[in-house]
Amino acid sequence: MDSRYEIQRRAGGGSANASPALGAQSRRRKMPPRPADYKLQIIIIGSRGVGKTSLMERFTDDTFCEACKSTVGVDFKIKTVELRGKKIRLQIWDTAGQERFNSITSAYYRGAKGIVLVYDITKQETFDDLPKWMKMIDKYASEEAELLLVGNKLDCETDRIITKQTAERFTSRISGMRFCEASAKDNFNVEECFLKLVDDILAKMPLEIPNRELSNSILSLQPEPEVPPELNPPRMHCC
Amino acid sequence: MNEEYDVIVLGTGLTECILSGIMSVKGKKVLHMDRNSYYGAESASITPLEDLYKRFSLPGAPPESMGKGRDWNVDLIPKFLMANGQLVRMLLITQVTRYLDFKVIEGSFVYKKGSIYKVPSTETEALASSLMGLFEKRRFRKFLVFVANFDENDPKTMEGVDPNKTTMRDVFKKFDLGQDVIDFTGHSLALYRTDEYLDLPCMDSLNRIKLYSESLARYGKSPYLYPLYGLGELPQGFARLSAIYGGTYMLNKPIEEIVMEDGKVVGVKSEGEIARCKQLICDPSYLMDRTTKVGQVIRVICIMNHPIKNTSDVNSCQIIIPQNQVNRKHDIYVCMISYTHNVAAQGKYVAIVSTTVETDNPEMEVKPAMDLLEPVEQKFVSISDQYAPTDMGAESQIFMSRTYDATTHFETTCDDIKDIYKRMTGTEFDFAEMERKKNDIFGDAADQ
Repeated sequence: MDSRYEIQRRAGGGSANASPALGAQSRRRKMPPRPADYKLQIIIIGSRGVGKTSLMERFTDDTFCEACKSTVGVDFKIKTVELRGKKIRLQIWDTAGQERFNSITSAYYRGAKGIVLVYDITKQETFDDLPKWMKMIDKYASEEAELLLVGNKLDCETDRIITKQTAERFTSRISGMRFCEASAKDNFNVEECFLKLVDDILAKMPLEIPNRELSNSILSLQPEPEVPPELNPPRMHCC
Repeated sequence: MNEEYDVIVLGTGLTECILSGIMSVKGKKVLHMDRNSYYGAESASITPLEDLYKRFSLPGAPPESMGKGRDWNVDLIPKFLMANGQLVRMLLITQVTRYLDFKVIEGSFVYKKGSIYKVPSTETEALASSLMGLFEKRRFRKFLVFVANFDENDPKTMEGVDPNKTTMRDVFKKFDLGQDVIDFTGHSLALYRTDEYLDLPCMDSLNRIKLYSESLARYGKSPYLYPLYGLGELPQGFARLSAIYGGTYMLNKPIEEIVMEDGKVVGVKSEGEIARCKQLICDPSYLMDRTTKVGQVIRVICIMNHPIKNTSDVNSCQIIIPQNQVNRKHDIYVCMISYTHNVAAQGKYVAIVSTTVETDNPEMEVKPAMDLLEPVEQKFVSISDQYAPTDMGAESQIFMSRTYDATTHFETTCDDIKDIYKRMTGTEFDFAEMERKKNDIFGDAADQ
C-alpha cells in the first residue's frame, strides 16, 4: 500500500508570499498545498449492493449515482480532511467488485487503519452476512484497525427491516466498534460517520507527526528508486 | 457463470494473475476462478499457521511457542525478486506497487568447502572476501568491467567476443580466470544451477551477470527484493488490477469440466453451470492430461527461532550451495526471511531449502543445507512434480502455464508469461501493454 509516498519531496518550493511592499502585485500567489500530516488507508466492505461505493462517492465527491451497478474502474479515492488541527489524507479503497463472489483478497485488509463495514437496513441478508465479514477482519486486518458499522439506505425508512437496537446489540459485542446509520442518497450522516472513524483513528495515534514512523528499510517501489546515501555502495568493479 | 467471456483463467497463481491483469487492462472480459479458498495456488503464502500444519498433515495444532497463528504467512515456493528484473518492471508499469511494500534481502551467501561466505556487494567486501585470491580479484575486476560495458549492439565493446558464438568457457579463458572465479561467477552471479552454460554461447550469461549487477546497484546489500507479508501478496495485487478493469473473481470454485467442441475450448463447467469463453488460461493442475512431467523439486520449509549461523545474524538472506561443492548436478538454494517481513511470529525465522530432485532419496540430497540451519523447530517437506504443457494452444485455445521451477527468482516465470501472451495473441509481449489505460485514482489528488 502506498503509505510510503515521498510526501516530503512535495513540500513545494518555499513560501510563495509576495512581499507587501510590491503594492498591487502583492496579491498573494496561491500557496502550494501543505503536505498532509497523516495518510490513512480506509477500506469499505460489505455485501453486494449495500451501497459501499455510494457511501464513498458521497463522502469524496458529494455525488450519488442511482443507476450505477457493480463498481468497475475505481482503485481508491482520495479525500483530504482537517481534524484535530491536522491535515489528513484519506485513501479510501474500493473492493473492485471482488465481494460479489466472496473473493476479496486478504491483501485488501492489510494496511487499513479504518474499516467501514456496511449493510443495508432494508435487507436482512446483508446484516446476516456481518459475522462473515468480521471473520475476515479478524483473520486479515490489523488488530489496531478502527471499525465502523454503517447501516445504509436510511432514506428507505419505510422499508426498514433491521432496527437500530439490533445493530447496536451487534456492535456492543465487538470492542471498539462504532455504529451509525446513513443515507448516501440523501447525503445524511455520511460525512459525520467517516469523520468519526477518522477521529477514532487519530485518537490512538501518537501525538508526534509519524512521518516515516517505521524503519525506512521499507520500500515502496518507485520508477527511479532513490538509493539512500547509506545504502549506496560503489559497484563491485568501479575504480 | 452462464455468461460469455473473452478469457477464462483457472488458478490464481502468480502467472495466471499477471495474465488476467494484462487481459483485463487490454479490455478483455475475464472470468478468473480458483478451486481453493485462497489466492495464489502454488505461489500462495499460507496463513494462518494452523492451515500450514493442516496442509502438511501434521497432527494437532501448532505449539504455543509459535505465537499467534495469524502472524504467519508462509510461502510455498521460495523465490526473491531481482531488483532490476522483469517482475519488478511489470509491477512498476502496472502500478501494482501501490498494493505492496518491499524490503531488500540483506545478503547473499555461497557455500564453499563446508563453510558459507558472503557474496560481496561492495568494493570493500570484494577486497576482503576470501572467495578468491588477491591476483584473481584483479583479473575478475577486469572481467566485470568488460561485462558491464558489453553492449551487443556496439562491436567496440565486445573485444572480439561474439555473444552468439563464443562460449562462456572461452570468455573465462580470455580473462584468465581460475576455477574459483568461474564457479563464483556462474553460480553466485549468473545464478545458473548447473554448469551447462559453460559450453553455450555467452550472450545469456553476460546478460545474467548484468542483471545481477544492475539489481545489486539499486539498493545495495543484495540484488533481491521481497514483499512484506509474503510472496502471496504478488498474485493478489495483480488480481486486484484485473478486478478493477472488470475481471470477475470466484474462489472456492470446483471446476468440473473444460468443455471442448471440435478440438477447441468453448467453456468451463462448474457446479452445474457453464461459462463460455474464447480462450482459456490455466495452471497444469486443471488439465493434467495435456501436460508432461519435466522434473521434480523438493522444498523444505523450516521454522527456526534463530538466524542462520555465520551470516552476521541477518534477518533475510539467500544461500547458494553450488552443485560441485556437494557432488550434484543442480545447486541447492536456501531462502530465508523472518518476522521482520511480517511472515512469522515475533522472533521467528522461515528458511526454505529447495533443489531439483536427482535421486530417489530427495531428503538426503538437501542435508548439506539442512545442516546449515540447525536447530530447526519444525520442518515441512514437499516433493512436487513439475509440469509443462504438451498442448501449446494453437488449435485448442487452451494456454497452460508451467509449474514454478527451482530457480531462485521470477525471471523464468516472466518468460513463461511472455510466451503464453505470444501464443494467445500472436504478437510479441510488450511491457507497455500492461500500463493502466484509465485513471483509477480519484478525489483531491492534488496532495499526492
